[in-house]
Amino acid sequence: MKAVHGAVRSWALQRATAVFALAFLLYFLLHLALVPPVTPAEWRGWLLAPAMRLAMLLFFVAVALHAWVGVRDVILDYIKPLGLRLGALLLLALWLAGTVGWVALTLSTAA
Amino acid sequence: MKLSIYRYEPEKSAKPRMVDYEIELRGERMLLDVLERLKAEDPSVSYRRSCREGVCGSDAMNINGRNGLACLTNIRTLKEPVVLRPLPGFPVIRDLVVDMTRFYRQYYAVRPRVIANAPPPERERLQSPEQREAIDGLYECILCACCSSSCPSYWWNPERFLGPAALLQAARFIADSRDDDTDRRLEELNDAYKLFRCRVIMNCADVCPKGLNPAAAIEGLRTAIVQRSF
Repeated sequence: MKAVHGAVRSWALQRATAVFALAFLLYFLLHLALVPPVTPAEWRGWLLAPAMRLAMLLFFVAVALHAWVGVRDVILDYIKPLGLRLGALLLLALWLAGTVGWVALTLSTAA
Repeated sequence: MKLSIYRYEPEKSAKPRMVDYEIELRGERMLLDVLERLKAEDPSVSYRRSCREGVCGSDAMNINGRNGLACLTNIRTLKEPVVLRPLPGFPVIRDLVVDMTRFYRQYYAVRPRVIANAPPPERERLQSPEQREAIDGLYECILCACCSSSCPSYWWNPERFLGPAALLQAARFIADSRDDDTDRRLEELNDAYKLFRCRVIMNCADVCPKGLNPAAAIEGLRTAIVQRSF
């Protein structure tokens, strides 16, 4: 087994996160359609179960990683000046990290 | 037949312009025949051509917004006025003639030849019929550049992304049973720009006058790199 390196790493990461996000979304929508939670207690019981919290956190992490690879590619294509490019990448990283952090905080504190 | 042709004559004007032509047909079938007729009337119109039967790839141009070979384009399929422009994304030398230097440099960069470690055999390097079939759909490329010139990823990064034509050639020698350099070839392509700028837009497969599918070849390269990585 060789270490994964080079551009194939981000490419594979983007594919893997897409598969996970899609699987989670399918489960989420199917669950909503087939066994829709009605009362607040049902909603809580479903969304705040430890496994579901973990799955939702992983979903947001996956989407953030997916977006990081994709938007980084767009930035590399369209923003050529180095300073502007680094600034855009930094903003993107902060925004994605902030979003995931907020999700993690919400999921870990919600009761 | 009405034609509208991109004319760029650097000695006359620094700016290109579109010029309309009206040509009386005398039984011409292919667009290249019409251009030959025009060339007889106005010798200043420049374009490349050689074999006139889709083998040499010289007369690639943008025909009504779509890249193709003039010699393989039947004029009955074209809406008039037929708008002819040089290949998009390539530096124009004159009229429909573009500078292919960068394109060929990228072709050479994938080392488009069989690299074998074993000493040359006394006779040819034999392949089984199955091994020979492995390069079908890859070896037929005539390097006309229709694909690379229609690829948005190539327009954005023409210096660093190799483009579909060169990548198809890379796949052709990786698939060749007589070549021993697969590892190094794949390693060289495992780079953020050379290969992975392909976004599977598939304009390449759409325009290829030989009916090849560079996008599928690129997907094969990615798969090969992934398989070697895990």
